Parts: sequence; C-alpha cells; structure tokens
Amino acid sequence: MQDPRVRLFCAFLLSIAAFVSIAGASLVFAWWVVFTPRWHNIRHYRAVVATLLLFGIVSAVIELTGSNGLSYFVRMTAILLIGVWVFADTRLGDFLATGTWLLGSRTGFELGMIAGMSLEMAGGLFEDFHRIRMASVQKGMPWSIKSILPAGRILISDTLRRADDTAEILAIRGYRAGGALCQHFSTPPGEILAGLCAAAALVGAYLLR
Amino acid sequence: MRLVLDTVVLQRPSWSLAASGVFTPGIHLVSGDVGSGKSTLALEMAGLQVPDSGTVTREGIRTALLSFQFPEFHITGFSIAEECASWGLEPEGVLHHAGIKVQEDTPVLSLSRGELKRLHLACVLSREYDLLLLDEPFSSLDCPGKEEICRQLNARTRGITILFTHEQSIFPHVDHIWEITGGFLDDCGEMPGAFTRWQHAPSLIKRLLQTGRVPDNITLEDIQEAACRTRG
Repeated sequence: MQDPRVRLFCAFLLSIAAFVSIAGASLVFAWWVVFTPRWHNIRHYRAVVATLLLFGIVSAVIELTGSNGLSYFVRMTAILLIGVWVFADTRLGDFLATGTWLLGSRTGFELGMIAGMSLEMAGGLFEDFHRIRMASVQKGMPWSIKSILPAGRILISDTLRRADDTAEILAIRGYRAGGALCQHFSTPPGEILAGLCAAAALVGAYLLR
Repeated sequence: MRLVLDTVVLQRPSWSLAASGVFTPGIHLVSGDVGSGKSTLALEMAGLQVPDSGTVTREGIRTALLSFQFPEFHITGFSIAEECASWGLEPEGVLHHAGIKVQEDTPVLSLSRGELKRLHLACVLSREYDLLLLDEPFSSLDCPGKEEICRQLNARTRGITILFTHEQSIFPHVDHIWEITGGFLDDCGEMPGAFTRWQHAPSLIKRLLQTGRVPDNITLEDIQEAACRTRG
C-alpha cells in the first residue's frame, strides 16, 4: 500500500473491528487475505510465531479459567496480522509525513518523528537480539528461556542509550520543536477501496456482535 | 592451522562481496569502508552464518571467537564479577588489564561504552583462541585504550587473529593486509610488501610511501621511525 494515510486509517479501523467481536475478527482476516501480500512480506517469521505461541498460552489459561479463550485467540491473531502488515509495509518517513499531514508541523511532526524513530529502532532490535544470541552461544552458554532476561536487559539499556545519543544529536543540530515538511501522497483507486472495505468491516463487526 | 575462504559470495540487497584466500597464524588486518561487508564476512569466518555460495574451511581450528563491535552483545552477567566469571576469569586480573578502577560488584551496564569495550576486550584477550576475529576492536576507545589493545595483541604468540577495522591511526604489528574494494576481498599480501597494494592505507602512510620512506610495519613506532627518517 503506497499511501501511509490509508494504511494507518485501515489499521486503526481493522484493529477496532477485530477487538469488537469474533465476526469482526473474521472480516478483518478476509480483508487481510484480499488487500495485503499475506505471508509474503513478513519480515520476522520467528517473532510472529513466538507471539502466536504467547497468544495460544494466554488463550489456554483463559479457557481453563472458564472464559472464552478461543475468542481471545482469534481476535488477537487478527490484530497481529494487521500489525505485521503495517510493520512490513511502512517505509522510512511514512509516519513523519502522515503525522505532519494530520496534526500539523509542530505536534504532528514530533509525533510522526517519534513514531518513525521507534519503528526504525524496532527493526534494529531484531538484529541486536540475533547478535546477542550468537555471542551467548560463542561463550558456550546454550540459548534457553533463561537467556531472555539478560538479553532483554541489554536491549532495553542499549535502546535507552541510543535514544539519549539521538536526543543529543538533535539538540546539537539545533532541533527545538516541530518542523516543515513538503509531503506528497499517491493514492491509487485500489487503496481507496481497501479503506472503504476496512470501514465496512468495522460496521459489520458492530452489527454482527 | 588455517582458515580457507573458497570463492565465498555474500549477497545483500545493497551490496555483495566475493572473497577467496587463506589465513594462516599471525595477525591479519582486513580494512574497508563502512558498509563494505566486513562484519558479515567476520560472521561467515566465525561459522556463525553460512555464505550464499562457496565454502569456509577451518583447518586445525578448535576454538574460535568473534568479538562484535558492540561489547554489550556479549554481556551475560549482571555485575562485573559475574561477567568475568562467564568468561572463566577472575575479576581482579581483568579489571587490571582493562585499566578500570571500580568495585567487582558494580553493574556491568553502568560502565561507559569505552569502559565496557575495554572490559570486554580484556576478557577476550585473556583467553587463547585458535581463531580470534575482532570486529572494529578500536571503536569507542581513546588513543591510550587503542595503544593498550595493540600491546596486548602484539603479545599474542599463537593462533590466527583477524582485525576488521576502518581505523586510520593506531594499529598493532600486523603480518598480512587484506582490503575490501569494489565488492571483492583483495589480498594485499605480507608486510611490508602489502603497502604497495593497500588502497585503504591511512593518508600518513600514503604520504610516507610517496616520499620513498617505507615503514617496516603499521605500528605507531614504525610510522614515527619512517617519518623521522632522513631523506637521502
């Protein structure tokens, strides 16, 4: 999807639709099948599988405690699919352009810049995690569930350190607040149709509740 | 003991690298621009990643370690003592080697990036490896820190040590120079003959070569000696 505004609009509506009901989640799944490249543009298969596994465990616990675990699993999976699609489809500068378009050159620019930086950092985290794992194995420490804690500690500490460095660089370059951006969006007709279908999915989710 | 790269090819969306060569015991320097594929090549050499084509053969190499550019990746302990223990080392000796004056129970992540790098390299260089790959070992270090690492590297008497770096000023005594140019790993050869083919040579070395003063090696002492040599 080329237009980041339509992409975010769809993601927002579809997330609500999936959350509202199982019928909504089914409509979201149908939308995902029709309007996205499906599994072809997933960047991190292992992370998706691990998240699905986590949902499965939580669902089992919910089911065992007498609530509807299956409903939770279906709805969360639909939201995950939309999230994975947005993450894979987003290009550098998309959030900045959309934020500035939506909320102006001060608040919108800042929120867009923060979102863009976060997404960029999230991409790097997967690579860092992979390196941490390799380093641990080299030390002769087999990778296990126990390794997650020190790895998480390093990732958080590293992310905070990088955020600090980025803030310093921005300040040194004279950044104070907001900024001007000449954004240009291209919206093919197919994307308008995708947006309308996302809105219809939300309406359907409420009606079929 | 040797490491053999046989028509290894690494393909990435923005670059590719073809590498062939034999690495024998001694210190090897692999230089190249940022983003030329040095770190990925190091991963292949360490056996942590499989090349897209070609083979990497480690003959007679029983122990190998790749030290990543960012020392944080290697940390598994909470305190300095725990981190040293994870390498099988006593903290006093490591702290002395690293030149860090802190308590052993200090959280390891509270160290600055430079201190962390020194601590990590002190751990790595306190152990013996048949194949030691150091990815940007001089990054985050000040000049005295770099000189100390060079001293420790010069003291290594066995094994294959490969430095991947774009450092331009402070080096240990190296035996062989390689460089990545135009997507190929070029063998510049043994020292000091490698100087004539080393395109990434630091500007000071290039200037010395232009004036006919060929240093014996690339250590600071060798460069200073060549610079002070009287032109006849």
